[in-house]
Amino acid sequence: MSQQVLVRGTRTPIPPGRRRGRRMRTSGLWAHGMVAPSVLLVAVLLYLPFLWSLYLSFTNYDGSGSPKLAGLANYSQLLSDPVLATTLRNTGLWVVGTLVLPVGLGLLIALLTYNIKGGQWLRLPFLLPYALSGTATAVVWGFVLQDHGVLNSLLATLHLPGGSVSFLQQAPLNTIVMIFAQTWQSIGVNLLLFVIGLQSIPREPIEAARIDGARGWKMFSKIIWPLLRPLTAVVVGLALVAGLKTFDLVWIMTEGGPGRSSETLAVTMYRDAFVADNYGYGAAVAVLLTAMGLVVSLLYLRRQANPRNDVQLAGGGR
Amino acid sequence: MTAPGTARARHRRHAWLLALVLALVALVASGCGGSAATNSTNLQLYNDKAAWKPFYQQMSKLAHQQIGLSITPNGYADEPTYQAFIRSALQTPEQPDLFTWTTGPLLRQLAEKGQLASTSAIWQKAIADGNLPKGLEQYYTVNGQQYCIPENVSYWVMFYNKHIFARDGIAVPSTWKQLMADAATVKGHGTVPFYQTNVLFSFVWFQTLLAGSDPGLYTRLTEGKASYTDPGVVKVMRLWRSMIQDGYMSDPGNKTDPATLLKTGQVAMIPDGTWFDTSMVQAGMKPGTDYGMFVIPAVNPGLARTPVALETGPLCIPDKPADKQADMKFATWWLKSGPQAAWSDSRDDVSANPSVKISDQGLNTLTHQVVGSKYQLLNRYYDAVSPNVLTAALDAFGAFMGNPNSYQSQLATIQRAASGGAGS
Repeated sequence: MSQQVLVRGTRTPIPPGRRRGRRMRTSGLWAHGMVAPSVLLVAVLLYLPFLWSLYLSFTNYDGSGSPKLAGLANYSQLLSDPVLATTLRNTGLWVVGTLVLPVGLGLLIALLTYNIKGGQWLRLPFLLPYALSGTATAVVWGFVLQDHGVLNSLLATLHLPGGSVSFLQQAPLNTIVMIFAQTWQSIGVNLLLFVIGLQSIPREPIEAARIDGARGWKMFSKIIWPLLRPLTAVVVGLALVAGLKTFDLVWIMTEGGPGRSSETLAVTMYRDAFVADNYGYGAAVAVLLTAMGLVVSLLYLRRQANPRNDVQLAGGGR
Repeated sequence: MTAPGTARARHRRHAWLLALVLALVALVASGCGGSAATNSTNLQLYNDKAAWKPFYQQMSKLAHQQIGLSITPNGYADEPTYQAFIRSALQTPEQPDLFTWTTGPLLRQLAEKGQLASTSAIWQKAIADGNLPKGLEQYYTVNGQQYCIPENVSYWVMFYNKHIFARDGIAVPSTWKQLMADAATVKGHGTVPFYQTNVLFSFVWFQTLLAGSDPGLYTRLTEGKASYTDPGVVKVMRLWRSMIQDGYMSDPGNKTDPATLLKTGQVAMIPDGTWFDTSMVQAGMKPGTDYGMFVIPAVNPGLARTPVALETGPLCIPDKPADKQADMKFATWWLKSGPQAAWSDSRDDVSANPSVKISDQGLNTLTHQVVGSKYQLLNRYYDAVSPNVLTAALDAFGAFMGNPNSYQSQLATIQRAASGGAGS
């Protein structure tokens, strides 16, 4: 009997030679054809606009007429902008805060409520805010945190400190409270993802570890956490990017103020392009933000893809 | 070996799937096509005043009855989004029939790029017929030609709660000294005298105090011919600081609607445009009974004329609309006394047409007062400066209100923007 080859994606074994090559080419063509519209959409709506923004960053375009080249003036101005330090600090706070709070708390709640009776009901209050949009979240929390708002009034009524604190008018307190507002809204998605991750962990390593006497922190750090790695890579990666491009909550709650003290890079980009009509400068900020996102993502993903990590996962070669 | 029938079935399935995908793509692409061609009996009016939709619709009915043209308002609530849309639209064949804009550098920008139709003929006729005051022309003139027409006109005055004034036994002030004495009395009775905000209208007190101290410096500053670090400007910031530190100003971070604050007596006085009258009426207040308005006395008692900030919003016709004749016909009709009276009454605001008698007695009196010889009209700060200076200034004034001792650094920040440097 001649050797038969099973081609991935089909159930039918086919003979080797010309017929197999033609089938694979045909199958490949269909696949490319199916994917082509989506690729075209992404290229037109994402890559082309980015190239346009890159071009604009070298011009002094004000939104009307034709852009005029201005060389590196926008980048030079950006690097000497006294507000840049503030926006980088705030963006850094958002990245760290988005990683530690929504992701950390999401994992903690997932672990505490997993495999216990009524666990799904305990998770519900954390999942519900995720149904709200960022804008709705910002409006609600703006109402709570504004001067003489709900929080001020509640603290004053209970004779607790903070009744006259301007939560949104002082930096960096305004950024910190906005991170808490974001945490309230985004714990749900991280919690959901971690629960899915926990569900996908096979029983056998857990049972084996239990037999060996592993419990609590040891069970989590030696068995559960390494097995959650593929999912954690995704969750943390998404949180990193989300933190870098924070915009809607900040814009609605403070518009980056007062006095630009709560601005993030994304807010600076919007403000300079669409409010100050300085599209070239705004585009330069956009390019900087994109570059930062790419570098952070690549560094992080490269670390996750390190073969040494896979060996550790497999038990160090045992 | 694959059965031929199975392979053919798979090919047919693939062909159907591909056809479906292509059809979907075509459907989406067709949805991205341009809007339907404008019918010259209905004009699309794009505006940044989404809350005025009912008023535009009233005017549309009137215009349809009188000249056979109606308008469909397309309102935007977010200013940056609106401006970005208009700038993009003007560069395409799909230009709006009519759109609202801003006087000052923004009007100049579009006019100099040839993106606006000249309305000089409409202006000359309207002035000759007494439908527009000559003094308004300068705000619509670029390089000797007029562009756009006034959609609305407002004067910046002080709204006050009449019940609080009656409670405290104070009269409408005619001098700055009297105004400060009234403020002290109001504060003594536990009410915050003046409203201020650190969002959008953070420029109002700067405008009021600087124009009221030195209108010449104010004008030079807005034209870029003076510096924000000028001693006259610094002096104004110190005055503003003292008013904040003396407790005369409301919390700038309070996001409660100012009409509500005035209605509930949380503040006694609010400097605002006369269009704020609309908000007061909508908040359920009665003009003349619950609230009134007065011209803000000049800070400098030695000024021959009291400065009053003027705000006028243009209604513009692009250079290549679908039906320029219809647009011009509508613009000519808009300025006449009949439509202007209806427009003014609908919003409880003043009219650009000096012959119009407004129903609101208080507004009527005020309108005729400020165009008299004892008053000097100055362009509102918001419209008079360029967008990058305005953006820096609004942020800086907002920061100043939170930390009044930072006035020097805030002025330096605005000046950097005005000079085109970093931080703008």
